[in-house]
Amino acid sequence: MTCQRCQDEAVVHLTELVDGRRKETHLCVACARASGLSLPDAPPDFGLDAVLQDLIKKHVGELVGELAESTCPDCRLRYMDFRTGGRLGCPHDYQVFRKGLLPMLQRFHGATRHVGKRARARPGASLRLRLRSQLRQAVAREDYEEAARLRDQIRLKDQHA
Amino acid sequence: MTLDDLTRTSGEWLRGAGPESDIVMCSRIRLARNLADFPFTNRASRNEKAGIESQVKSAVDAAGLDVAYFDVNGMNNLDRQFLVERQIISRELAGGEGPRGVAVTPKENISIMVNEEDHLRIQYMLSGFRLNEVWDEITALDDQLEDDIAYAYSSSLGYLTACPTNVGTGIRVGVMLHLPGIVANKQIDKVFRALQKINLAVRGLYGEGSQAFGDFYQISNQQTLGKSEEEIIKILTDVVPQVLQFERSARQDLVTGRRQHLHDQVSRAYGVLKTAQTISSEETMLLLSSVRMGINLGLIDDLSISTVNELFIQTQPAFLQKLRGSELGVEERNVARASYLRSRLANGRAVEDE
Repeated sequence: MTCQRCQDEAVVHLTELVDGRRKETHLCVACARASGLSLPDAPPDFGLDAVLQDLIKKHVGELVGELAESTCPDCRLRYMDFRTGGRLGCPHDYQVFRKGLLPMLQRFHGATRHVGKRARARPGASLRLRLRSQLRQAVAREDYEEAARLRDQIRLKDQHA
Repeated sequence: MTLDDLTRTSGEWLRGAGPESDIVMCSRIRLARNLADFPFTNRASRNEKAGIESQVKSAVDAAGLDVAYFDVNGMNNLDRQFLVERQIISRELAGGEGPRGVAVTPKENISIMVNEEDHLRIQYMLSGFRLNEVWDEITALDDQLEDDIAYAYSSSLGYLTACPTNVGTGIRVGVMLHLPGIVANKQIDKVFRALQKINLAVRGLYGEGSQAFGDFYQISNQQTLGKSEEEIIKILTDVVPQVLQFERSARQDLVTGRRQHLHDQVSRAYGVLKTAQTISSEETMLLLSSVRMGINLGLIDDLSISTVNELFIQTQPAFLQKLRGSELGVEERNVARASYLRSRLANGRAVEDE
């Protein structure tokens, strides 16, 4: 149902009796507030993730500052999602969340530097991940021509993989 | 090779051969690897998972390995459970979603899981205490796969994995130990605490979160960063002999101090396994553990360690159901288990006590 004033989604549904007649009003939050209705605050979210994130934020928020708010541009994983779920989303997360990860690695492994077997160097190996991220950005800014070009590039890369 | 073929064969790692195989059931190393070009499995779309699967499959083909690929996504629950029981796939892969599978050799010493927590989980197992040999094999296989796969890797952090607890070498080095002596003299907690102090993990037969059964325990490294693979393997090869010595002296105490009691326990266990008409999985594990120790101590001479090792796996629920070709309820399984045990253990006898 849409808001009677602005066509946004209506979330407030009022039923009044005026002169013995039933009158229904449907409003979105903003229009309801604008018309002087007092609304309760958003109900608390009892999801476990939310509670955990809140707790973690209290503990690490000040320490890591903006890190708590950061999101990987490639896989869209938020640092707080990682802290609650324990899994990273893509290889770039190690760079994006480096500040938060290093102390964690030091605690768990007693080290922060790899000294074992080395993989072969492959310049541009994560190009597909970059293209994927650029594609998402192009779609977000509605640059569909660029999005189509990037999509074709990714397809080409997948075919030659 | 089909899944049904696996009901007629058993893995090399159950052979009961190799150094210290009276206590060390098998040595296992797994490597966690990811493709540089894709999000980790938990953030990959269905299409991307399919792309990862097809790239890994062609790398496995190119490596010329004699493997069968099982599509876990298109498999029913019983078949998935069957592969978990055989240690070919993890419970996580069995319970996952989207395109995923496993490549496995007929001897079941190599399995390569695709789209588990990491894109690749390469596992190599051999019976007995042979970690260095396992490492030589698995690192060569890893190199072969890398001919066709660009791994997610950073020069400072090593192999990049979905969980930071595996980053660096991505290696998990483990041995599966049969420790009935230490369990009997109630020293197992003490051993656990000592191992944990040096950052080794002790787990049940089916890995993280699983219960130890049949007195089998897996000991493995937890830290994967800051030490080379060889250094990590050396920690295990230094520590495991001490645990073996502890187990041997516990068994010796049992033999010298309570020989009659021990012999009675072993013989009764063997007797029940050979004659029971219905038997639960838990009781089977307990009795097989006694019988296995009995063989090692020379109290039973007509049964091989490899048969007992196989029975630990082949009396599990999914194996029995695959063998029967239909789903069975708990009671039916208990009857089928007893029948299977009787057929495998027929004609055996325990050693006469002098």
